[in-house]
Amino acid sequence: MKDLLKYTYLLDLKKISENTERLWERYQEILDDKKSTWEDLNEARAILFFLGHIFVEEIALGSLEKRVKFVRPAISLDNFLLAVDRKDAAVLKKYKNNKKFAKLRDFYLIVKGIKNRKKGEWYLDEKRFIKIYRKKQPRNYF
Amino acid sequence: MKRLIQGKAFIARSERDYYNINKPIILVARNTHPDIVIAIKKIKAIVTEVDNRLCHAAIISREYGIPLLMGVENATKNFKTGDEVMVDFNSKTICKIK
Repeated sequence: MKDLLKYTYLLDLKKISENTERLWERYQEILDDKKSTWEDLNEARAILFFLGHIFVEEIALGSLEKRVKFVRPAISLDNFLLAVDRKDAAVLKKYKNNKKFAKLRDFYLIVKGIKNRKKGEWYLDEKRFIKIYRKKQPRNYF
Repeated sequence: MKRLIQGKAFIARSERDYYNINKPIILVARNTHPDIVIAIKKIKAIVTEVDNRLCHAAIISREYGIPLLMGVENATKNFKTGDEVMVDFNSKTICKIK
């Protein structure tokens, strides 16, 4: 998680992608392993909260808010997000050869990939996680 | 974008609820879920309790051009499915009209 934050600071897209996949794989490994301990499941809980909420809605959003200000011609974050999500041809054409715009767009697409990740019935396999987590919860848990 | 949208509220609490949307509605949820796409054509507007430009509802709203009102506290508790509601995007409010 620290590495993901570091590579987000660096905006190293390859490493960001690798680290999100690594976290996802570890999360799945914990859920798949019947021998996972209560401690393991809390690691999975940490990954779920970090990847599903903190990274996408706090860290990535903050990174986009900060960096979009460096794009020229200037574009607001809302207009940037709208242009990418709506595939707005006029705006995308305007920034076609803009490296900063392209890099932020690719970063945002990685983030969107997490937001749209569904496994099992729920977003980020959350239903399976909750089921296993409750089952393993110690009686003296508080 | 329309500044006032009126319609029947539909409260979505789980991903399965999206499969029960069979007529045009105003979706009210804490946040949305990827399964929303199966009912997307019947959603006139989305109202969420969460408020974040990268939350799932915000992304879906931009992608499909569906009006979105975020940050409505207790929306899923204050309204129930079938309520006739009006969403006012100027004042950023939703109210029951019947």
